Parts: sequence; structure tokens; C-alpha cells
Amino acid sequence: MTSHSILQIESLDIALRSGDAILTGVDLAIAPGKVLGVIGESGAGKSMIGAAIADTLPPGLAISRGSIRFDGLTLTDMTARTRRDLLGRDIGFIPQEPMTALNPTLTVGQQIGRHLARIGIANRATRDKRAIELFSEVGLDRPAQLLKSYPHQLSGGMLQRVLIAMAFASNPRLVIADEPTTALDVTIQAKVVELIARMRQAHDTSVLFITHDLQLAADVCDDVAVLYAGRIVETGRAEEIIDAPRHPYSRCLSLAAPNLDGPVAPLMILPKAMPGAVERAAMRGCAFAPRCPAADEACTRTPPPRRAVSPGHVSACHYPERTSAIAPPARRNAGDLAAPGEAAVLRAQGLGKAYRQHDWLGRVREVEALRGLDFTVREREFVGIVGESGSGKSTLTKLIVGLENVTSGTLHVVGLDRTSTPRERFFDQVQLVFQDPQSALNPRRRIGSLVTQSLECRGNGLAAKARRELAAELLAKVMLPPDAADRFPDQLSGGQKQRVNIARALCSNPRLLIADEIVSGLDVSVQAQILELLRGLREQASFSLLLISHDLAVVRHVCDRVLVMCKGEIVEQGPVEQVFGAPRHPYTMQLVAAARGRPRSDDRHAREASDLS
Amino acid sequence: MRIWSWLSDPGLVIGGAIAGLVLACAVCAPWLAPYHPNDQDLLYILAPPVWAPDGAAEHLLGTDSLGRDTLSRLIFGARTAMEVAVAASFGAMALGAVLAHLAGYFGGRVDWLISRLVEIWLSFPPVVLSMLLIIGLGVGTDKVILAIVLVDWTRFCRVLRSEVQVVRGQDYVSFARLVGFAHMRVIVREIFPATLPMLITLFSLQMGISVVVEAILSFVAMGVPADVPAWGQMIADARINMFDAPWGLALPILAIFVTVLSFNLFGDGLRRVLDPRHRANGHV
Repeated sequence: MTSHSILQIESLDIALRSGDAILTGVDLAIAPGKVLGVIGESGAGKSMIGAAIADTLPPGLAISRGSIRFDGLTLTDMTARTRRDLLGRDIGFIPQEPMTALNPTLTVGQQIGRHLARIGIANRATRDKRAIELFSEVGLDRPAQLLKSYPHQLSGGMLQRVLIAMAFASNPRLVIADEPTTALDVTIQAKVVELIARMRQAHDTSVLFITHDLQLAADVCDDVAVLYAGRIVETGRAEEIIDAPRHPYSRCLSLAAPNLDGPVAPLMILPKAMPGAVERAAMRGCAFAPRCPAADEACTRTPPPRRAVSPGHVSACHYPERTSAIAPPARRNAGDLAAPGEAAVLRAQGLGKAYRQHDWLGRVREVEALRGLDFTVREREFVGIVGESGSGKSTLTKLIVGLENVTSGTLHVVGLDRTSTPRERFFDQVQLVFQDPQSALNPRRRIGSLVTQSLECRGNGLAAKARRELAAELLAKVMLPPDAADRFPDQLSGGQKQRVNIARALCSNPRLLIADEIVSGLDVSVQAQILELLRGLREQASFSLLLISHDLAVVRHVCDRVLVMCKGEIVEQGPVEQVFGAPRHPYTMQLVAAARGRPRSDDRHAREASDLS
Repeated sequence: MRIWSWLSDPGLVIGGAIAGLVLACAVCAPWLAPYHPNDQDLLYILAPPVWAPDGAAEHLLGTDSLGRDTLSRLIFGARTAMEVAVAASFGAMALGAVLAHLAGYFGGRVDWLISRLVEIWLSFPPVVLSMLLIIGLGVGTDKVILAIVLVDWTRFCRVLRSEVQVVRGQDYVSFARLVGFAHMRVIVREIFPATLPMLITLFSLQMGISVVVEAILSFVAMGVPADVPAWGQMIADARINMFDAPWGLALPILAIFVTVLSFNLFGDGLRRVLDPRHRANGHV
């Protein structure tokens, strides 16, 4: 685009050895000191761009066409050796999972020391001094002690700071950040993003920011490129693409994400799934056409040209002008939700859970995971629990389903005392939807057998025919076709698997359903499907739901009430709108502020001081 | 589709073919062998095989010092070897797998107990243990089988236990418990199908090991009785005349070598095609 770019990628193709394209004709350019966001769902190929620059493409993949130019040098023509010299020194990396990026057997100091030695600081004392400087720059406390600690002694947020410090240590011209905040808690996410933005300014570095999160990209990036099925469908200024997209896919993505402000609007649901590499090869027209609400005949026949819709804003669509008219379908009976009943399905009073730990002398120490929880979930009520990792959310679910024992207080589940009632009484009444459908569905069972699994050990052995009918009925409830019953989990997409997971939990007509982070691993468009499904089930409302999530917008979209948990205690509870709209507890305020994102205003510097703790 | 990917693994195909051939020889021994293995033809003592200068067509692979036909003895030897290998591997698998599932599934004290038992068992030299067992029990095919089972179940137990632990950590196992499946049902319906590929692979590898152990025991005359032809015994018999009639020594060694190699290749091939991680690489 501009005559002077730090990174310029031109018509880059990456293909499998079989010839199927993973990336097709990718053009990107980053101007000095700018942040370019690459947005895409899983399978779009966004990480491949970073991998192509870093020369770490997975085996079987290779660049088949195009060039990557970095600061006037053509990376794709370089020998492996010269290229390696460039990486880490002129191009820095911030990885996705800070917890696995550092060697657990070496101290943080040794690892940053090696990196500094590599970028040319020969003297050990100088290296230590520089490391301490860098650590203070990224806001880490007591940097000198930090050098001697091992990675497992630090939290995820601290590790990511260490890695950011390393990435910026050599004043690189370019930093590639591949989903740097995905593995972190919400409040830490905000700080890490803030930090990357600040480091970029201080070092005048360009950043390639790869993410699946539209909102995050809007906060961080100057320019944004939206990737779909290996092609860039839209590029332009971040605000324009978020607020006034000119490609249907970008619009659908932003309509599919639940929001924290404004009315709870229905989410945009995209039919089908993103085509894979092999399917794409067979398509002649636009890869998005089969899912596009604005597509017509021409879209499936000819590939859309990439053209500027306004200066600096490029869209690859036949009809960019149709984009703004796309809206999610209205709900059939909007707003008319069944009122929750009076009877309590779940009641906790002074509920606590303590783990006993023995140290090497045999002394017993009690660790309180939960302390004095008081709450009620009424019939047909959807309640959300929000909190960060370590807040005790998962321990609470384990208590409710009976995987752990209550140590203090009382817990009444479906009117029965959890501690004194035998396990069998709860089996059909309380069901759990697991977080990871991959792990929760036995890969060797067919879907039909999976969804009716809970009937298998009941006395009234259902006949094969009745069981099939029930399976079809359950699949219909979660909007899956009846022929899915004969397939195996591996033949379904992530979203479909999660729906099977939900259908299975509904099989025994439970009175209480517990959903533990059931959308956190899913893409935005798939998450929208699941959230709308939960909304739909809520209208029929035959059960109560306890939805555990770290994402406030998700909870707001589905639930009536919310409990905010922090360090094993409920710090605030109440109706969703009230808690998120006017939070009273400082922790809730912090959560809500983090979820709202960085205000795009000038008070950034004022906030920095308070944020860097 | 699955079958094609299986056939594209050379180790699996070659190993499987040879192993199948050996098994077929074992089953059809009475019809395949030209003579009874213990019949003596005193006109031909230490006859060389047919391709050697003095070879005769009556005895294709020659005879031993008692005038017994080497080919027939090899074929019947395969029968003994396979009988022992199949029964012993199956026994070791059954014992090891049951204990492994119990240890891996229940964990805690059960796991502690079974794991310590395996460790104690493994610290005892296996050859000495099997010889002690034979001395105690006496010679016989069934005794050899028992000795191998009692020595080798630990191998199954160790490897499978960690496999069970991995599957145990999957959420679908927790779910089965939460909807009220009994422990045994969870093990049989949810865990066992997942460990079965590993079990089959280990079984194939154990077949090779059992053939070697059986040969060692018959070599030192602590295996099968003297009237049952066995490869180890043939090696022991041919040892005395090894300079005059080297073929009598080489052929049974070759038989053992090829058999063990084929089971190892087959087992390795099975491990490759049954490994879900390997299969997952197929579609990126």
C-alpha cells in the first residue's frame, strides 16, 4: 500500500503437499509503528501467516507462491541461516500460551540471558542489568528476584510479560503476536493488550496482531485484515471494519458476538461451517457464498474481485453495498420468557470447601477453595457465574454434581441434601455439560448412542426403536439433523459436537443443568449458534441452568441472574443488567471495565499507572 | 478407506503376511509335513539340504543326527512355538490387562498395590524366574505357557495402566459416572474400547517374545518334553554336529529369527495404524 512498509506480503500462497491451498493470494502491508490485526476463525489460516514469516510452517505445508519482504529484504529468498539471524533480533514473537513457551527446567533469568546473548550482549553483568531494565519496563515487580525464579512460580500474566519483555528486548522492527491473550484471564488480558500497545509506542515497533476476537482487534489495531477460508476478504482501518464493514463476513462476525451494552439482540447465525482446504478447491466462486445472507447466483460462479470501496478500505465482495442491510433474524417471541418458578432447585447456605494438604513433615494445612457461599437458583431460572481462573467456579460445579464432598455449610440440590442423600437420587435430576466436547464424547460411540447414554443403566431398558426415536427427538431439540445419529463424533464440527453434548445432558429431563465454560473454546460464529440454542431452550424452560463463564457478554446474553465470584467467595449477585450495568463491588467493576475493552480516549496515560500492578 | 491406509504400511503387510504364514504352518502341520517329525530314516543321517552337493530329494532340508527330517521338524516346531506363543501371550494379556484396568481406573490404594507388585515382579530376573518355575512344575508345554504368563504379564500391566489413566481423565468417563454407570460398566463400555488398539499391538509384540522364551527353554531342555519337536531343541541337537552339518543349526535359528521379526514388524505396524494421533495427521 504505502511505499515504505516494514512488512510487505504479496500474493502469498501456502499449500499442502497435496496441492490444496491453505492460504490464497494474501496481501498485507504494515507501515512503521502501526499495528495490523489479522482476524479470523479457527481454520481460516491466520496463524499460518505468522508461521510463514517465522519459517515455522508445520510439516507438509510450504509457500508455493508470493513473497514476504521485511524492511527491504526478501525473507522468502533468504538462506535459512541469514533468516534465523533476523528472527528474534529484528522480528520478535509473542506466543499464544505463555505457560508452555518457556523451558520449565531453566530460570527466567537464564532464558532471558540466552536471548540477550544471542542479540549481542556479551557481558553477563550487562545482560542481567538489561533484563532487570526490561522487566521494570513491562511492569514486573521485584525484577531482580524474578531472574532467579522458575516459570512455574509465575502466573500466566507474569509469564506473558516476561515474554513481551523478551520480544521487545532487541528493539525489533516488527513483533508478531499470535493470540497473545487467549490463554489469559479477562482482567489480565486487558493489561497485556495495554502493555503491548505501550511497548510498541516506546520502541516504535510495528506489530502483527493475530486474533479471533473482533472487539480486541478494534481496541488494539490501527488496521485490520479479515481472513476467511485462506483469503483476505476485507482490509481497512480498524474502526471502519468494526463499525461499518463492507464485507458480509465481517458484518456477520460482529453481529455474532454478544455485547455487554445495549439491548440483548439476537445473534447472527451463519449456516454450515467454513469450507476446508479440499472443499475450497472445488469452489469456483466466493468461498463465503454458501453461508452468505446477501449472496446470489453470481457469487457462486465467479470469484469476487478485490477492490477499494473507499480509500484504504478493500473488500472482496461482489456486492459490498449489501453488507449494511444484513441483520440477524428476529426472534419469534422476542422478550417473552417464561417466568422462573418459586421453588428452589439449588440452595447453598454458608457453603464451603476446604482441601487438606500435607506437607513433608505430615503437618496438615487447610486450603479454602470456597468460603461461605449463599445463593439460590430457582426453577426455570438461568443463572450465570463469572469469575477468573482460581475463583472457585469449577470447585462449585464439582460440589453440585457430587464429584467432591462439601466440607462446611449446606447444599440442597433439587430439594435434597447433597451430603446425606445417596448419589443415585441425583443422576437424572442434575446433568453436567462439559467444557470440551472433544473429550466429553466417547469417539467410539455413535451420536445416537451417545445422546441416549444415560438410559443405558436404567432398569427400563428401552427398545432399540424407542431409543432411536428419542435420539432423533433430542437431536431436533438442539437443531441437528436426525441422520447425525449414525455418525461418530469425529465426523461433526466443533459446534455440532457441543450441541450433541447438550442434547445428551437433556436426555433424562434434568431439573438442573450445569454448563461449565461450554462456549469458551468455540469460534465466534459457533458460539453464537450455541448461545441462541440456549436462549431457545430457555423459552421452553423446562430446567434451570447454571452457566459458568469468564465472558460477561455470554452470561448477559443467556442468563437472568449472575453471581460474581472472586477467590472462593461470591462478591456480588443480582439480575444481570443490574450487576453489569451498575457494578457495586470493586472486583465486578474491574471485570466489567476489562470486558468493555480499552476506551479509545486520551485518558490512557492516567489509567496506565493504576493498571500496572 | 481405512483398509487402504493399512495396506500402505509396508511393515504391517510384510510382518502380517509372514506371521500369517507361520500360523498357517502351525495349524496345517500334519498335512504339510512330508514325514512324522519323530520318524527316523537311518539311511540318511545328517543329510544336507537338497541344494547342497550331496542333497537328496527325499529330505528337502536334510536330516539331523538321528535321521529325522528337518523340514517336518521345522513345521511341527512352528506348531509348538505358535501354540505356546498364542496361549502364553493371551494369558499374559488377560492377567496384565485386568490388573492394569483396575489400577488405572481406581487409582489410589489399588493402583499403589498393583504397581508395587509389578515393580517387585520386574526386579526378579525373568529367565531365572521362568527356569525356577519349570524346575518346580516339571517339563511340559502347558508348564512353559504358565511360566511365560507369570513372567510377562507385568509388561502388559505397566504399559496399559498409563493408557487407562489417560482415558480415565477424559470427560466422557466422568460423564458415564455422573449418569450412574457402575464402575465395571464404565471400564467395559467406555475405557476398554479405547485401550483395545494398544492391547492388540502389545499382543503381537508379546507373540515374538514368547517364541524366543520358548526357544530358550527348550534349548536348555527345560521346555517342552523331548518327544515334542521344538526349534530350541533342534538347535540344541544340532549344536554337537555344527561343523559337519551347519544347516541343521542354521535353519531353526532362521525360523526363530523370521518369526520374531515378522511379529515385531506386525506389532509396530499395528501401533502406527491404530494410533489415533497418527491417524489425526491425515487431515489437517
